[in-house]
Amino acid sequence: MDTEAKQEEALFYRQIHYIITIPEHFHSDFMDGEKPQLVVKSTNDYEASLAQMQLERYLNAANALRFISESEAELVANMEAVFSETTEVTMTSKLDTAGLNKAAFYYNFVNYALLAGCIYVICLILSSFQQEPVRKRTLISSMNFAKYHRQLLLSNSLLAIALWGFYVLISLILVGDVMFSEYGRAYILNSFVFTLCALALAFLIGNLVTNKNAMNGIINVIALGSSFLCGAFVPMEYMPDFVLRIAHLLPSYWFIHANNLIKGIKTFDSAVYRELLIHMGVVLAFALLFVVLAYLIGRKRRKIA
Amino acid sequence: MSHVIEVTHLTKEYKKLRAVDDLSFTVEKGEILGLLGPNGSGKSTTINCILTLLSYQNGSIRIFNEEMRPSAYDMKRKIGVVFQEVAVFEELSVYDNINYFCGLYIKDRKLRKQYVEDAIALVELQNFQKFMPKQLSGGLLRRLNIACGIAHKPELIFLDEPTVAVDPQSRNAILEGIKELNRCGATIVYTSHYMEEVEILCDRVIILDQGKLLAAGTCDELKKLASIEEKISVEIRDLDEAHRLCIQEMEQVESLSYDGQVLQIIYKQGQDHLIALMSYLQKEQIPYHRIYSERPTLNDVFLELTGKELRD
Repeated sequence: MDTEAKQEEALFYRQIHYIITIPEHFHSDFMDGEKPQLVVKSTNDYEASLAQMQLERYLNAANALRFISESEAELVANMEAVFSETTEVTMTSKLDTAGLNKAAFYYNFVNYALLAGCIYVICLILSSFQQEPVRKRTLISSMNFAKYHRQLLLSNSLLAIALWGFYVLISLILVGDVMFSEYGRAYILNSFVFTLCALALAFLIGNLVTNKNAMNGIINVIALGSSFLCGAFVPMEYMPDFVLRIAHLLPSYWFIHANNLIKGIKTFDSAVYRELLIHMGVVLAFALLFVVLAYLIGRKRRKIA
Repeated sequence: MSHVIEVTHLTKEYKKLRAVDDLSFTVEKGEILGLLGPNGSGKSTTINCILTLLSYQNGSIRIFNEEMRPSAYDMKRKIGVVFQEVAVFEELSVYDNINYFCGLYIKDRKLRKQYVEDAIALVELQNFQKFMPKQLSGGLLRRLNIACGIAHKPELIFLDEPTVAVDPQSRNAILEGIKELNRCGATIVYTSHYMEEVEILCDRVIILDQGKLLAAGTCDELKKLASIEEKISVEIRDLDEAHRLCIQEMEQVESLSYDGQVLQIIYKQGQDHLIALMSYLQKEQIPYHRIYSERPTLNDVFLELTGKELRD
């Protein structure tokens, strides 16, 4: 392959992918700080790109080491020393990024499903209890108001937990590999905490709204609205900053953000757990706020006028 | 007798409307007290104030010698209420509705089962236990409403117009049930604008109008407030002017009215008016279909006190 024609032929048949021709006085020009050009012929494919990359890395390293080398021989020795160094790399996890993306996408969507489901079912149940005559009959009964309120919340929580269980079951079917790992447990725990918040929010709305016809509108405004605002359907990366700043005020944001964090976790260490727990804590704080508000509203409405 | 309820100077205002105006009365143990008045007279408002469902501007309310508060749960255990509106769950059967509302008071399941069955028997709904409320007629629904309110065997029962829009058969069943509850020792406060019901049921009656107490007492005591003693109605056709004038001139006749079908004569006092009138009609050979005498009704008392009819 000493002739140009043979070189071209070998390149054409992909017998070789990259030919470097070193011009005369290249080494002396290089050592003098000039920038001598190598003559390159390539197939412009993957293998050629790899060769190009390695050549550039080599020349960059040589250029850097040139300043501490007195002679060409010393430069070659320094280069050999640098390239002979090895680093041992151990893979600590085998990330199934496709599965994790699917799981995160599913659990982000669960934000809408849980909110809509809880609000619809719980408001429907509470609307029966909120009918004025039934409410009056309950108010004049000997049932302690706080106890009654608590029992109503606990009985509705059974429904919310059943709904959550259903969605977890679906996730086990859809992305079982991920769900039976540490990631899956994190998703399940995060969604459970959010279920408590959805229950509390539904309970608050159920205490505020007595009109069954208004329910569809409320589901759209709250469940669909917060899902859009907080990135359940559109990834947060594509959303404007001011929308995300507003979304901070909604529990869905913290739930979805935690899902996205889980997706990107490399190793489950204390720092990761702390960050996840902070997110879940914020969601729980929202839940507590909703429960207290529902209680105060119910207490205020003990009198009919 | 001890006071079961003691209402003193109760005043309830809605912005510019005074719904209850300085109302004071007591309810004694074991009696049936009737609150009688036209729609909007303040009967339901008074009951809602007593039950702490409404706040009020002035006055005090004591039940079983204790001040009534929203959190007086021990006191509420002894109280049963049947509201004017039917207060049941559409989603539950007759039995389950009564069981639910009884469960707000009675925790013991065995005892509650017995109480529910007793309530069903009292309102005669044995054959409808598995029916849903929407499958019941208006009268049966009212009976269910009553059963839900009294199933826990309260000592004091408020019945707020429980027979509104009820067929005669159900009305009789309801009234019999109320008498039975009273016989079993319950004190009852019964509001209605049906004076006949109040006369049949109540030991004492309070007449309200525009939130004010107009009169109080037994039915007989109240009737004495009317300035008439007797009303005689005669179904008679084509009574001429001359005869009407003659009847008007008869002794103790207060007033006379004739609509072409029925002649109504009101006597202020005295007795034997029916005999005198029949003698006159016979003597003048005036034919008539029916003749009957009535004592003054509570409506007459209300008319006398307010210048308007109870159902105006």
